[in-house]
Amino acid sequence: METILSTNNLTKNFGRLCAVNKLNLEVKRGQIFGMLGPNGSGKTTTLGMLMGVVNPTAGDFTWFGEPPTHDTRKKIGAVLEHPIFYPYLTGQKNLELNAMIKRCSDKRIPDVLELVELTDRRNDRYRTYSLGMKQRLAIASALLNDPEILILDEPTNGLDPMGIAEIRELTKKIASQGKTIILASHLLDEVQKICTHFAVLKKGNLIHYGPVNDVEGGKEIVEVNANVENLQNVLAAFAGISAVKRENGFFELTLREGVHGKDVNRFLFDQGITATHIATRKRSLEKMFLEILNESH
Amino acid sequence: MLYLLKIDLKKLLAYRTFWIVCGLYFFTLAFVTASGMEFLKWLASLFDNFGSSLNIKRIPLYHFPDVWQNLAYISGFFKIVLAIMVVISVTNEFSYRTIRQNIIDGMSRWEFLQSKILTNLLLSLMSVVMVFTIALVTGFIYSPEINWHYVFTDLEFFPAYFLEVFTFLSFALMLGILVQRSGLTIILLLLSRIIEAPIDAYVGNHYSWEIVEFFPLQSIGNLIAMPFARYAFQEIQDYVTFKAVIIVFGWMLVFNYFSYLKLKRADI
Repeated sequence: METILSTNNLTKNFGRLCAVNKLNLEVKRGQIFGMLGPNGSGKTTTLGMLMGVVNPTAGDFTWFGEPPTHDTRKKIGAVLEHPIFYPYLTGQKNLELNAMIKRCSDKRIPDVLELVELTDRRNDRYRTYSLGMKQRLAIASALLNDPEILILDEPTNGLDPMGIAEIRELTKKIASQGKTIILASHLLDEVQKICTHFAVLKKGNLIHYGPVNDVEGGKEIVEVNANVENLQNVLAAFAGISAVKRENGFFELTLREGVHGKDVNRFLFDQGITATHIATRKRSLEKMFLEILNESH
Repeated sequence: MLYLLKIDLKKLLAYRTFWIVCGLYFFTLAFVTASGMEFLKWLASLFDNFGSSLNIKRIPLYHFPDVWQNLAYISGFFKIVLAIMVVISVTNEFSYRTIRQNIIDGMSRWEFLQSKILTNLLLSLMSVVMVFTIALVTGFIYSPEINWHYVFTDLEFFPAYFLEVFTFLSFALMLGILVQRSGLTIILLLLSRIIEAPIDAYVGNHYSWEIVEFFPLQSIGNLIAMPFARYAFQEIQDYVTFKAVIIVFGWMLVFNYFSYLKLKRADI
């Protein structure tokens, strides 16, 4: 697969603060790449460097295998942090201006406005828009020249549940068109649903990088309960279990590789115990994210 | 190049403040420069009150070629209004953070600066055309006889006026890019001449007035000398010196280069 983005020891210091530390990332064509990390972990600074608004202290990066210029940025649609437009211009005029800056035709303006459902409000000034509409206009602007790559930084920040749902649908719609997307987000279940790959940043350091599928693979976790006094001892005797933990009124079992929930069920049955509750839990990205962050202490 | 100008004009032409400030500028400029005869009549009435008389017909304020320098000099005072508009235009880009989005969308920092410089050129050019037209019309109205030789004398004041306005707008643009906040920049712009004046005087008194000619705002003021003393039969500088042009041209380059350096190095 063609490499779209590659960073090489990308570093940014603000005075003594190291915002991004020797970052090495690769994004390939067609990936939907999630960037995770707590506030202040360097996600926006990284994207700022990739989009030419923050000068790196050290290191470099390539887009499409070439050193970055302002012309490569025209092939990327990006919304960093907040949507930014001229408040006194209408949505339509703002998009016309952006089309001029990107040096692309303004023929797609009606299409992108339709896609983000802003056609009715296109002749109103930007400052009269609600936050959700501003976010949607930003996405419309990013899609103006049908870019190969879309960068979205917290696209659902500050939105109400309706707005979040709208943006999520929109992101899925765009993702289904086969575009490469880089998505920085706090919403872990969203990243898990949409993304193919993800990276975790903490205090400017890359602490995890890999496909989202890995999260679901690996060891299985099973919740069990039964009306037996010494259930914990019984379970401890089963060789397929690597750890037993009592949580939320259940026993939470971490299974060894290759052992599944049905094996636990059979074991209990063989012991003459009937489970009142047995459930296989998928490892969520949220759980893994927190684990990764804790491990890195 | 023209494409970049179109981008900046697209931002400005839908901005109401731009129309109001530019409208006020061109209106007051036209109004003041065209009403010199009314000023002279008022002056004459003052003389009458003191029992002496002033024959305003003998003051050739609008006669060719005097009218060229007179109006170019007076118009120079109004450039501050255009400069404030330039400050508003560039500091808006920082306060709305649109400069950031412009660059993300694929403008280079140098292209962004060019678009602003081109607007400065256009504003300066419009100001020159305006002053030239008023001077031409009033000249034809008030000159007792039209001598074509005089009509075409002293026209070098217009390129000099153009350089004066454009250099001052470059200065305003640089301040805006360095300071980034509109209120503070406008105050600095208004105070800049007042801050420079005592330094000029100190250097002039203790060292040499020759050095003062090289100071930025002083040099801009030196381009077109104050002409009115000639009506009190004093010697005036009724020409533009090559040295003054070179110095101001140098400052113009310096101001725009500083803007470029700052933009290139800044995290936006």
